[in-house]
Amino acid sequence: MENLAGKNRGKNGANTNYWLGGIAAAFLGLGAFFLANGRGHAVAQPNIPLVDPKFIATTPWRETYADMVKANEDLSDYDCYGCHERKNPPPIRYDANQKIIIPKEHADIVMAHGAHDRNNLCYNCHNEQNLLTLQVRDGREIKFDNIPQLCGSCHGPTLRDWEAGAHGRTSGYWNRSLGGIQRLSCANCHNPHSPRIPTREPAPGPYPLRGPSPASANPETSP
Amino acid sequence: MTRRNFLRGAAAVSGLTALAASLSPLLELSDFTNVDQFMQKYYKELTPDEMAKVLKRIEGEVQRQYGIRPHVRDYKPMDGVEFVYCLNLTRCIGCRKCVHACVAENNQSRNPEIQYIRVLKLPHGSLDMDKADHNYAPAAVPEPGFFYMPVQCQQCKNPPCVKVCPVHATWQETDGITVIDYSWCIGCRYCEAACPYFARRFNFADPEIPKNRLNPNMSYLGNRPRKRGVMEKCHFCIQRTRAGRYPACVEVCPVGARKFGNILDPESEVSYILREKRIFIQLKEEMGTSPRFFYYFDV
Amino acid sequence: MIQATRNYFTFLWRCGRIAFVGDWRYYAWMGLLTAICLFGLNAYCKQLVHGLIVTGMTDEVSWGVYIANFTFLVGVAAAAVMMVIPVYIYGNEDLHDLVIFGELLAVAAIVMCLAFVTVDLGRPDRFWHLIPGVGQFNFPASMLSWDVIVLNGYLLLNVYICGYLLYCRYQKKKPSKWFYYPFVFIAIVWAVSIHTVTAFLYVGLGGRPFWNSAIVGPRFLASAFTAGPALIILALQVVRRVTASAPAGITGRATTSALAAPRPATLEDLDLLAHHLPELETVSMDDRLASLHGATVLDVATGDVLLRQRTTEDSAFFVLSGRVVVKREENGRSRITRSAGPGEQFGEVSALAGTPRVATATAEERSLVLRLPAASLRRLMQSHKMNDIVQSRMSERLMITDHGLLMLRSIVQVSMLINVFLLLNEVFKEFYSGNLHVASAKYLFIGLHGHYALVPWIWTAIGLNVIAMALLVLPLSRSLKWLNVACVLCIIGIWIEKGMGLVIPGFIPTPLGAIVDYRPSLNETLVCLGIWAFGLLLYTIFLRMAVPILQGRLSKANEGQEL
Repeated sequence: MENLAGKNRGKNGANTNYWLGGIAAAFLGLGAFFLANGRGHAVAQPNIPLVDPKFIATTPWRETYADMVKANEDLSDYDCYGCHERKNPPPIRYDANQKIIIPKEHADIVMAHGAHDRNNLCYNCHNEQNLLTLQVRDGREIKFDNIPQLCGSCHGPTLRDWEAGAHGRTSGYWNRSLGGIQRLSCANCHNPHSPRIPTREPAPGPYPLRGPSPASANPETSP
Repeated sequence: MTRRNFLRGAAAVSGLTALAASLSPLLELSDFTNVDQFMQKYYKELTPDEMAKVLKRIEGEVQRQYGIRPHVRDYKPMDGVEFVYCLNLTRCIGCRKCVHACVAENNQSRNPEIQYIRVLKLPHGSLDMDKADHNYAPAAVPEPGFFYMPVQCQQCKNPPCVKVCPVHATWQETDGITVIDYSWCIGCRYCEAACPYFARRFNFADPEIPKNRLNPNMSYLGNRPRKRGVMEKCHFCIQRTRAGRYPACVEVCPVGARKFGNILDPESEVSYILREKRIFIQLKEEMGTSPRFFYYFDV
Repeated sequence: MIQATRNYFTFLWRCGRIAFVGDWRYYAWMGLLTAICLFGLNAYCKQLVHGLIVTGMTDEVSWGVYIANFTFLVGVAAAAVMMVIPVYIYGNEDLHDLVIFGELLAVAAIVMCLAFVTVDLGRPDRFWHLIPGVGQFNFPASMLSWDVIVLNGYLLLNVYICGYLLYCRYQKKKPSKWFYYPFVFIAIVWAVSIHTVTAFLYVGLGGRPFWNSAIVGPRFLASAFTAGPALIILALQVVRRVTASAPAGITGRATTSALAAPRPATLEDLDLLAHHLPELETVSMDDRLASLHGATVLDVATGDVLLRQRTTEDSAFFVLSGRVVVKREENGRSRITRSAGPGEQFGEVSALAGTPRVATATAEERSLVLRLPAASLRRLMQSHKMNDIVQSRMSERLMITDHGLLMLRSIVQVSMLINVFLLLNEVFKEFYSGNLHVASAKYLFIGLHGHYALVPWIWTAIGLNVIAMALLVLPLSRSLKWLNVACVLCIIGIWIEKGMGLVIPGFIPTPLGAIVDYRPSLNETLVCLGIWAFGLLLYTIFLRMAVPILQGRLSKANEGQEL
């Protein structure tokens, strides 16, 4: 029977034996290498900082008068007649450019309600007859804890959305039969004097699985 | 025994030694699986008793790993409920609080980082994803000239991921949520390839959850901690929504851009939105996936 | 029954043993492959311990080189069997034995495919979830479930066909047509299905516009039928080279005149032959007597030459006792084409056809040989059974002719032409209309938003394919040297095209527009190399078993003899 191995008798036979011996030795070396090489390690991002808890907090941006009442906070700021006289509403002054002059006692107020200085008159919302309440254009008095009716007197569609739950955050139970909800009022998000939502610091972007975080791309300049 | 045969034998034996040595990393293979986990039946085939045992086992595993005993429940869908999500693109400011609230609520891995929600920054006038920026990091948002679109699992009515899963590890429940049985998934990642919304995430390594941020209110199909090698994705905070509550992303959104509810209830805010808003869109509608996620605008 | 099982196990045992026998080249090759396998195994163990994070894959590019190699190898497996068509449908006997090599390659390729899919799984321990009835098998909705069925079925088909044919050869029995022809035809159809189903894995995903195109299926088949036969062309030449023993110069005595004087054949000689060749019993006495006309019996010693390559003479031979080895000289090397024991024939093909001898027959040991003129042989073949056995044994010689290789060349040639044509179709479709779905194609061919990692790869692949196509079309590639160059270019070009050119760009950019480059990690590469080495190891073992069986050197007749 033809014997391939036998073909290499003689010189080649020894040759094969050397190869076999060498292979055996190489395998043992390979085994040692594997044992020494260890278990490997997972390669992920070296350090991803935990997110700042402020980015998962649900506290509203602003506290309304109603919230302060509920929390039994100090309401002395809302005691208008502590400084002002009854039956004597404070006059509103304008500068040469028809810009409203904020008195230094109310310096924290920035008037920016509406474009083209549309709401340049405090008494559009505040009730000069009774500084402790607000007023709608048709003269109705609105209490400080019932802001939406005031805002909605001009912003009708938004009021309708808010009443249906489609504007502003609702938290709690979507299934009202199992629990209640908490609605936010207009002033929880909007500063009545400058209602546009200010810009804010965003939470950090995503970290890739490996490698450095890609730089933010400006879509306008990419091809 | 010829010398040739001896040498052949020697080579074979040393080969087997090298084979055994090459398997040595497996010595560190702890906690990969045990008999109970390996033999666990398919979710839909578990009897209530078996499910109770499984839940108890999972609670024990979590306690051993994190030192906190969680409460793991198996919430069933409610009758007469189909969840729908509406997101107001006029309002979203791109603050990414929803992303992180989701991570905290659903025990997602912090490193490697898994986030179900991806917020895209798009330029005015375009929904072309090619122009989307995922990594925006300005000092303040929103930036002028751009709008923000958070994307997460759209819980499609015609989900491509469910179609392609070879083992039925992911399926759609009667309340519309597409769920994953983490104990059944084989990790082939076909669903991840099939999803047109980049909604699904794979655990490439063992998830890392800081012990002090573990959410112990867990559900079997929802936020119980996963292991490496399985898929996960947004499940509408199933542990909250099937108990009647809003998902975490809805609760945290500071501008109220996110709306969630039961579309079969005409009084819900989502019914109101889909009835009253003139414009709302579904992402990649032409895919035929029929998502239950609607992006709307304030007119 | 028990004896049949015993025989089969003896056959398996001998096949297994012969896998450990070889010369230093064989041991070096197998040792190297085993070492690479072990590196791959070690790397895979690390992957099991740490998870798929040790690869280069991400959520954005969630399939990488594992699935790329899987796709390429499914094509090779499909094409290996498609070569079968010329043999069985056109009855081209030249390629007969090559069919077995093709099917063995298919088996090795499918095992590699299954290995690649398994290492890609995140939870391989949960494989049982796929078993219908035991787990949850999502058939027919999921194309992956179809793939599981067709791949495993194909493996079983090919293992059965090869096993049956080789075992019949081993037993020197004629294979029964009913036991393999139907399976061969099923295998041909099944081969098309495995690759089409694999293509449909990609085509069915509407969310990936790069894949969601009707051309993917045909492109898969075209590139498979280019790379598969190209691999076989190369493999066959390796087999030819490796089974060649001594360099040129057949040992043996110088001329036939050195043989002892032949004596006329008698009826007793025919009886002795009939002892080993029962079909001879069916020849009528008239035919037997007529065949003795001009028939002689030769008593030869080891090394005596009975017929020479390139000479023309019209005698056919039957071995009465002893053993004769038939060797063919090609390119300065000689190779055994068959080994004939008692009852077996040689020299009959050229005797009956009147063509020059294609090989030289030498006695391996002291032998008695019956030499028949062609007319005598024809007389014996008047008997139906005798005719059948002689005809069937005619193809039982291991002839890897250049003609066979050139047949394969024409398959590669046409397939590559179609492949390049389909590529042009794809490029036009992607770029002409200028719609937004072109993002992936842009990334692949010209780069996207500053990412151009794949651009050099695809253009290299296209270059290789076009050069290969040109070579194949030109008569230049009729020479084996240039044909081999073309085959290597084909294989590399198509491997790149199917892997980097199809799987990866489907993921980039993601459905949300993000671009994350993919680069296989060292661990991932080691696993791939390990699986490739394992496949080559398997194929080498298969060839190591099959070649001696096909040559007739490993057969039931010489059981008990030392290998």
